[in-house]
Amino acid sequence: MEGASYQRFPKVKIRELKDDYAKFELRETDASVANALRRVMIAEVPTIAIDLVEIEVNSSVLNDEFIAHRLGLIPLTSERAMSMRFSRDCDACDGDGQCEFCSVEFHLRAKCINDQTLDVTSKDLYSSDHTVVPVDFSDTSSGFENPEDQRGITIVKLRKGQELRLRAIARKGIGKDHAKWSPAATVTFMYEPEIHINEEMMETLSLEEKTSVVESSPTKVFGINPHTQQVEVVDPEAYTYDDEVLKKVEAMGKPGLVEIYAKEDSFIFTVESTGAVKASQLVLNAIEVLKQKLDAVRLSEDTVEADDQFGELGAHMRGG
Amino acid sequence: MDLEEEYDQGYNDEEEDITQEDAWAVISSYFEEKGLVRQQLDSFDEFIQNTMQEIVDESADIEIRPESQHNPGHQPDFAETIYKISFGQIYLSKPMMTESDGETATLFPKAARLRNLTYSAPLYVDVSKRAIKKGHDGEEVTETQDFAKVFIGKVPIMLRSSYCTLFQNSEKDLTELGECPYDQGGYFIINGSEKVLIAQEKMSTNHVYVFKKRQPNKYAYVGEVRSMAESQNRPPSTMFVRMLSRTSAKGGSSGQYIRATLPYIRIEIPIIIVFRALGFVADKDILEHICYDFADTQMMELLRPSLEEAFVIQNQQVALDYIGKRGATVGVTKEKRIKYARDILQKEMLPHVGVGEYCETKKAYYFGYIIHRLLLCALGRRAEDDRDHYGNKRLDLAGPLLGGLFRMLFRKLTRDVRGYVQKCVDNAGTRAGVSQVLNRLTYASTLSHLRRLNSPIGREGKLAKPRQLHNSQWGMMCPAETPEGQACGLVKNLALMVYITVGSAAYPILEFLEEWGTENFEEISPAVIPQATKIFVNGLWVGIHRDPDMLVRTLRRLRRRVDVNTEVGVVRDIRLKELRIYTDYGRCSRPLFIVEKQRLLIKKKDIQKLQQRETPEDGGWHDLVSNGFIEYIDTEEEETTMISMTINDLVSARENPGESYSDTYTHCEIHPSLILGVCASIIPFPDHNQSPRNTYQSAMGKQAMGIYVTNFQFRMDTLAYVLYYPQKPLVTTRAMEHLHFRQLPAGINAIVAISCYSGYNQEDSVIMNQSSIDRGFFRSLFFRSYRDEEKKMGTLVKEDFGRPDRANTMGMRHGSYDKLDDDGLAPPGTRVGGEDVIIGKTTPIAQDDAQGQASRYTRRDHSTSLRHSETGMVDQVLLTTNADGLRFVKVRVRSVRIPQIGDKFSSRHGQKGTVGMTYTQEDMPWTVEGITPDIIVNPHAIPSRMTIGQLIECIMGKVAAHMGKEGDATPFTDVTVDNISRALHKCGYQMRGFETMYNGHTGRRLTAMIFLGPTYYQRLKHMVDDKIHSRGRGPVQILTRQPAEGRSRDGGLRFGEMERDCMIAHGAAHFLKERLFDQSDAYRVHVCERCGLIAIANIKKSSFECRSCKNKTDIVQVHIPYACKLLFQELMSMAIAPRMLTKDVKQAKDSKKKGA
Repeated sequence: MEGASYQRFPKVKIRELKDDYAKFELRETDASVANALRRVMIAEVPTIAIDLVEIEVNSSVLNDEFIAHRLGLIPLTSERAMSMRFSRDCDACDGDGQCEFCSVEFHLRAKCINDQTLDVTSKDLYSSDHTVVPVDFSDTSSGFENPEDQRGITIVKLRKGQELRLRAIARKGIGKDHAKWSPAATVTFMYEPEIHINEEMMETLSLEEKTSVVESSPTKVFGINPHTQQVEVVDPEAYTYDDEVLKKVEAMGKPGLVEIYAKEDSFIFTVESTGAVKASQLVLNAIEVLKQKLDAVRLSEDTVEADDQFGELGAHMRGG
Repeated sequence: MDLEEEYDQGYNDEEEDITQEDAWAVISSYFEEKGLVRQQLDSFDEFIQNTMQEIVDESADIEIRPESQHNPGHQPDFAETIYKISFGQIYLSKPMMTESDGETATLFPKAARLRNLTYSAPLYVDVSKRAIKKGHDGEEVTETQDFAKVFIGKVPIMLRSSYCTLFQNSEKDLTELGECPYDQGGYFIINGSEKVLIAQEKMSTNHVYVFKKRQPNKYAYVGEVRSMAESQNRPPSTMFVRMLSRTSAKGGSSGQYIRATLPYIRIEIPIIIVFRALGFVADKDILEHICYDFADTQMMELLRPSLEEAFVIQNQQVALDYIGKRGATVGVTKEKRIKYARDILQKEMLPHVGVGEYCETKKAYYFGYIIHRLLLCALGRRAEDDRDHYGNKRLDLAGPLLGGLFRMLFRKLTRDVRGYVQKCVDNAGTRAGVSQVLNRLTYASTLSHLRRLNSPIGREGKLAKPRQLHNSQWGMMCPAETPEGQACGLVKNLALMVYITVGSAAYPILEFLEEWGTENFEEISPAVIPQATKIFVNGLWVGIHRDPDMLVRTLRRLRRRVDVNTEVGVVRDIRLKELRIYTDYGRCSRPLFIVEKQRLLIKKKDIQKLQQRETPEDGGWHDLVSNGFIEYIDTEEEETTMISMTINDLVSARENPGESYSDTYTHCEIHPSLILGVCASIIPFPDHNQSPRNTYQSAMGKQAMGIYVTNFQFRMDTLAYVLYYPQKPLVTTRAMEHLHFRQLPAGINAIVAISCYSGYNQEDSVIMNQSSIDRGFFRSLFFRSYRDEEKKMGTLVKEDFGRPDRANTMGMRHGSYDKLDDDGLAPPGTRVGGEDVIIGKTTPIAQDDAQGQASRYTRRDHSTSLRHSETGMVDQVLLTTNADGLRFVKVRVRSVRIPQIGDKFSSRHGQKGTVGMTYTQEDMPWTVEGITPDIIVNPHAIPSRMTIGQLIECIMGKVAAHMGKEGDATPFTDVTVDNISRALHKCGYQMRGFETMYNGHTGRRLTAMIFLGPTYYQRLKHMVDDKIHSRGRGPVQILTRQPAEGRSRDGGLRFGEMERDCMIAHGAAHFLKERLFDQSDAYRVHVCERCGLIAIANIKKSSFECRSCKNKTDIVQVHIPYACKLLFQELMSMAIAPRMLTKDVKQAKDSKKKGA
């Protein structure tokens, strides 16, 4: 086990960065690392979400559990989450999760007094901590939408005379326990494709055949250069490994006209955040969490208790 | 004719034709006007508006004459008074309810449902009493006294019928009344529960059927008529006319005698004798009535044996006597016998022809006609009749069913009218299973239930014929929607556009026929019959006509102009030379476009007019019918039409007449997809599925959760399931629009992958995305209502709601009483579980029966506790009074059901499965776009089941999601997979819906591409939490002391015979003993070794004794099942001594000898 070192030094190149969106390349590593990063981003980066709701008055059409479930799913800004404590191992409050180190309190009071339906939204939630508030989507300069529609996330609609009054406690958690704590809307990566066009063979095709090759791919991977009339790779990353072009080429009786391989050590990541954490921060937090997890493994490697904790895995790592 | 000229002008305009798309405008107008339960409403309205009055009018006056009590029957010679009571006009008010304090108010359905009342309206009738006094001088003095509007009873009112309080209320008013605007009505509310009257199928009456008997059989051919006069409430009187087999069973003479059965006559009577008894004595007269044409030697020859058989009886008196002798009366004079026979012929034989005097000619003709038909069949000139033909079936809907009940009750009322009788017309009639509790699981299941149909044929009968789909059911009955198993094919569902006739008077038709030259029997000689066409009205032969062509044309034209009722059926049988006209109730009919000269009569401008009309009231469907664009065709008339399947068929028939299927189209289908019923109309692409799958889905769609009515918050159903986030399907059918499936959906557009992934979706299980579940995927609410009332026991003792007190209440439950308020009810918002008591109720115990130590208790507990396997929150509590003015409570408990392993789900293609595993998002496979499926189903579910529809739904769903439009999956349209695929390719996806996916655990690309896309899934009501069950020890039955049965009683799981066989095969004797004895009903008895019978044992004092043997020492303990001990005791009670011999038999015998 101690022999050759497989250590590699992955490289990251950031392509695009927005508050809730990130696209970057991860090179010189394997799928296991890339996937670990993806999994951690989805399931193990902590965020804050409403976990306990005490309802004082609820005369709305939705029942208490329904509203509690909806409240839980509202993303809260969770920059603080990494430094917060899990309420289960908070010393300050003996784990009842009501102290300032592990929880944030929210209040909601809404009553409809006129004939117009009142939308109770995430904006009606008042936080005891200004760093933890419902995510505001109107700030992201999407631009095209009417600002008046940007009233946050609807919780319930009230008709005249109906009222909703509650206290909610938000806590730190991870996406593995409940999806409401997942900071990622989507995290995905693809293997970078390598596309080769056999130019000589391509020359034998008529323009009509060329277009049919180009159009056989559902995504815009290939194009015809309007000047040279040559088939070119326009956007290799648009390729979804659907094999449509390869099948087409095969059907035309020209196997090898186009060849596509997946690079085994080069990944293109797309990260979309729910808004709880900025996309860039999400990646960093994920690496942090991943490191912590590895530390936990490493630390426990030479301890005896590790046997209890890691069992077979520990034995395996010791070369058993 | 001016009408035809109009048509001719129309033909010149080529552009005016309508397209199949335009047909949907017509369909919309139909549903707008009629709704989905029209048959129920029409039928009930007909009953209320006409039938009820007719029944009252029918009843004869009640005549009461005073009788001297000392010598009844003797006419007093002095002044006599006769009282006559007659009933007049009836009046029905709106549904009312009288409270126990005497206050009367209008009743609304909501109140009826919540308070367990009956939604019924009081019925009043005008009664007049006439006292006719006869003076001594013979002069009659009549005194009339009228009692207007006398209350005679209550009639339950069908919801949304014209007498319902909700009739023609606007959507807003309905919401204000706490009703669901999508609820269609068509049911009753009886004691708070919604009841549907299921339509009952029966054979049509007054119809001649001829059947060939399968040989060997005594008879070769049988003709039968089930004759029932209109407005007569007796069972139909059936007449059989049978032709004997050439070699009868006895192997004797080869005579093919023809004989008929007569009511109340024990033996079959030769037909010629019947004719002679009717007064037709001469052979020639008789033959004229049977075969009309004497040149028909074949037929004449067939009649020869019958004539010879009746040769000895040559006059009417003898014939009547012959019949009378075989009647029920014995040992009476000849005159009486003749009178008896005459009465039977007049009143009992073929009553629909007439029961009055001088009907002999008509009866003879009709009787002759039956024989004529029998002979035609025997000669092979006409095939035997088809019992399963839908034209020969009639449907009894709510109206006729209630009519029968009302008639019976009204008769009863008139019989004992002296006493004040109030009778509630209850639905629980003589027939069982006719009224059912309305299914409220899903909106679609409710609709389907209201359109259900039952054939009361024995379920056990292994005869397959009546269960099979018959050609004539096309467009009338749904070909897919029928239950599986015992009732398969016997319980049917109406297709979407069926109209069931409510019946109209035959009188206008008869008048019309008279006017247009129909000749009746008095005017004609039998010889002209073969040349003319026989005219039948409702199965009754009324006469002949010599120009049937003209007659039929005029009749049809009048019907299209609504001068004759649209529901009248006109059937012209050219081969038989018959014209049959039907006006009776219960025929299935359906609307069709009328075609003339290969062209639809409805034109584009009519469609435009339809679409542009301002209010739904003006124009619409009704106008389309009265303008003669559309007419209703019943099952029997359908066979005389030529119907083109699509509008395009007509176009191509016009363009190349040579290649068209027909050049004489008379009608055109409105849309072929309308042959389906409610549940099958929800299936996308049913025309791409294997047919049983559509049947399975039709059954499963009824178990899906969704929103079953919009007012579910105001209702207190015993069980209710509501989906948190229902979605309208991405892929829809056109018919869904009218079923309100978009407004009240039952499912979610789940992203479904068809893949093997980790193996947790084998054998019809599915993998579900736990993260989706966390976000509310298929989360649902479950409501259960508990009800109780303070019953009155006797006059003084009454039960009481309240918190029972342990100090003075006996028989208190195990559960906690802490959750009860002071009023004895758990308040809303209380979390309840286990066996918590939610309704506290006690009954005072009568103190007088001195029970000594029990005197501490003054009350007995009668509380209701929550089911032990359920938990939830008290959602709503209703405290009110019921019809008797007693306090009455309903408590609704709510719980959230989150999908978990073991819950059942299904697509819309009969592909059901349970959750086998849930994976969080990161463990699910994902696509480059980052999409993870919500559900992964196993590919092995597809090939053998051939549910191609699901695959097409999936790719169409994908296209629909991308284009932001709904996909159209209506069957029998020209949508092709290639078209959808091309659209998908344009959206940037692999054209067949495959996607490259990556393994969530490892991050590697999956070798196979995965079929992925949105598919509409349903959550079914079967959930593990309602089924999970285990028991270590628990309650036992009192009698046998074996474990109780069933989950609700915490019962044991049966170790059955087959399990026992396994254990025997394994030789696991001890295990077997443990299961069947130790864990079941182990018991021990003490047995006297001498006599082998059970001895008296007192374990505490350790004294044992067998009194009969005077034995106190030789007693042994034996372990036997309690059931065995019970058997022994029962045997002993029958004076059989079962002896348990514990020593060797020989030894026992020895000891016996010694003893002796």
